[in-house]
Amino acid sequence: MVLLIVAALVLLSTQFSESESGPLHSMQRGVASVLGPLEEGASRALKPGRDLVNWVDETFQARGENSDLKAENAHLRAQLAKAQSAEGENQQLRKLLGLDRAGTLAGYTPVTARVIGRSPTVWYSTITVDKGSSSGVQMNDPVVSGAGLVGRVTDVTNGTSQVSLITDNRSAVSARVLPDGPQGVAEPEIGNPDDLLLDFIDRNQPIHQGELVVTAGWSNGAISSAFPPGIPIGEVSDATVGEQETYQRVHVTPAADIRDLEFVQVATGGPPRPGVPG
Amino acid sequence: MIVTWRIGLRIAAVIVVTVVLQISFFSYLAFFGTTPDIVPLMVITLGLLGGAVVGAVAGFATGLLLDSALLGTMGVSSLVLLTAGYLAGRYREGTEISNSLVPPLLIGALTTGVAAGFAALQLMLGVHAPVSLLVLREIFVKGLLAFLLAIPLYPLIRRILRPAIVDDVVAGTARGPITAGAGRARRSRTRRVRRLARVS
Repeated sequence: MVLLIVAALVLLSTQFSESESGPLHSMQRGVASVLGPLEEGASRALKPGRDLVNWVDETFQARGENSDLKAENAHLRAQLAKAQSAEGENQQLRKLLGLDRAGTLAGYTPVTARVIGRSPTVWYSTITVDKGSSSGVQMNDPVVSGAGLVGRVTDVTNGTSQVSLITDNRSAVSARVLPDGPQGVAEPEIGNPDDLLLDFIDRNQPIHQGELVVTAGWSNGAISSAFPPGIPIGEVSDATVGEQETYQRVHVTPAADIRDLEFVQVATGGPPRPGVPG
Repeated sequence: MIVTWRIGLRIAAVIVVTVVLQISFFSYLAFFGTTPDIVPLMVITLGLLGGAVVGAVAGFATGLLLDSALLGTMGVSSLVLLTAGYLAGRYREGTEISNSLVPPLLIGALTTGVAAGFAALQLMLGVHAPVSLLVLREIFVKGLLAFLLAIPLYPLIRRILRPAIVDDVVAGTARGPITAGAGRARRSRTRRVRRLARVS
């Protein structure tokens, strides 16, 4: 027991101190590469089951519905689970194509990837996708869904990549509120994946509910944001100012449905981003 | 638990399948805004069935696999899970489990402890973002979901590891030697006895 605890602590401290190319990171990527195909197979095979269970949960939450309609719906849903799953995939892919055409990812080579795994805890809000360095994916590449910003690539193996979502505790995205343009930093609130906090917005700046928040995509020549400008992050849901505070407390509802991602687009290549390791 | 290499293989298979299922299936589900976590459930079950050493080793290995698969910080999950596995094993070694509700209750309580321990470790390691009070809901709902999931999953894992469980082997020896197909023969004998009872 003591030996195992010591081993765990040694692993923990070694991982923090070693570089990205260190032996522990390499071993980790090796295991992730081996498990990648297993995860992909399991993810595809279990998708109808996931859809069905999630639908049951959603139905449970919708208390106001008529019970007869619910029963009928349950019957129809069970029959159409597979068909809806395919249609949902199709819609997500169409939206991805739309965002790509909108020009926000101009200069990038978008790589569409399927989500094959997700972290079970709110402390690490990450997903695993089925595209890796063999498809041109690199560290810190921006990741979007049809609705908006999802996160950025934080680790890459040959066939898979880990994406840290904008709701991950290590995430901070420089953002701009439209139309007036005050800039701040969009951070997650751990434990609440449906909410982001936009920090460093001056208390005198007028912010209104419903205003769109997009990536700022700044650069000062030496360092720059990892994200290109103009990608939708979310919509302002609330803005409050404390009496003694310099900055406003702006709540943002993420544009992308972070909990229900099936496909995402990794923006590979793109213009050089000074200070962003790739 | 009598751990032979065959049982070791079964335990390894249970660990791999659980981790893959967690990442590819359970992590996508949401009940009351929380994702069910079957990884601590499996480790605690192994501790309850196999004792402190089996629980701790299984917890350590599962944590390593989970952190590797998710490319997370190695050692964090291992530390929390090996403690949970060890505590479950110590409980089993010191107490007789007489009620079938005890394992799910214990799994629920220890899973709550795992979620709280994981949160505490993360806070100690440093968190850059504000923490919502909803984290508390997450911790308790995870425990509740583990309790509910343990009702079908604890007997399932017990069944997979049955040849190694001392209680079952002793109980089986009292009735006769355990051989291949003995379970089938016993079921068939029971059916015959019930049929005779109905006739008479």
